[in-house]
Amino acid sequence: MKFFSQSFLYDDPWSIVSLAFFLRYPNAYASHILSCDVISREFSPSGSLLTTRLILKRGALPRWFPQGIMSRAESWVVEESEVDPEGKVVRCRTRNLDHVKVMQVQESQVFRQTDEGQTLQTTEASIVSGFGWGLTKQIENHGLARFKRNVQRSREGVSLILNLIRQARMQPMTMTASYLSPTSASRYTAASPAADRHGNDVDASASEDDLRISRQDSWSPGPA
Amino acid sequence: MAHSLTSECTPLKLEYDSCFNSWFEGYLEPAVSAASSAEQRAKYSREKAQEYEQKCGKIWAAYRDCVQKAVKEKGLDDLLDQARRDNPLKEPPTTTISSSSSS
Repeated sequence: MKFFSQSFLYDDPWSIVSLAFFLRYPNAYASHILSCDVISREFSPSGSLLTTRLILKRGALPRWFPQGIMSRAESWVVEESEVDPEGKVVRCRTRNLDHVKVMQVQESQVFRQTDEGQTLQTTEASIVSGFGWGLTKQIENHGLARFKRNVQRSREGVSLILNLIRQARMQPMTMTASYLSPTSASRYTAASPAADRHGNDVDASASEDDLRISRQDSWSPGPA
Repeated sequence: MAHSLTSECTPLKLEYDSCFNSWFEGYLEPAVSAASSAEQRAKYSREKAQEYEQKCGKIWAAYRDCVQKAVKEKGLDDLLDQARRDNPLKEPPTTTISSSSSS
């Protein structure tokens, strides 16, 4: 089993970061997301919004992976979230539904408003393979490296949507709220490098060079 | 592209997402502060839920029915049930993960 934990601080208030997080699909960094559906949505007795989403992700298997084990390098991922607008907290748990014997990735994300009005994102994940054949460790290592890369990509996707929200709110008269439209073309334009780096890494526990941004997807059910 | 899992549901999904997104933006910025009384907050929550139902309830019902049918047809309901049995998603994580990259 491998563990991953990382925090990230956004300068924007919680309501905007949470909005961007929920509206993040589609975006230019999420071309591996084939489908995303809400399968249940309800209010808790306290007024929090509880949502379950079913997401289909695409990827490619690593070259060393035995052929014929997996007929397709796609994975169904279930995401359960809770939004508490009064306490200003979003909790979100994600895991893959299929290929769980090969690799089970469970991810937990929390977005919380800080006293300074910023937003702290905490990501925790566990990666377990029950594959055997002497490949368990290699699969878990691969899964972890891939997860780290995907965390970065996922953040860039959120930053892109964040940017759209900021721009639209600065010019409410001239711009339509394109971020609210799931089909807006601006979602598919990668943000400028400056726009990508609006937040700050608080605890860059991923010290290896895995945080390089990779455009190539490899199969892992990690952060969707 | 974030389509629906089946193309038949995609138009319903897009219409629902648009409706939800507009409502959600306001939901995230409650007009009552955490300092207001529990009663005031509960009233506000109820109103927000009613507003959602009124604005998006119809399209949600249509979209949900479409997706539920597709989920059954693809056999995904079994996978979801299995996942819920193995590890109920509603519960918060039991362990606090503090270290990284440890095996």
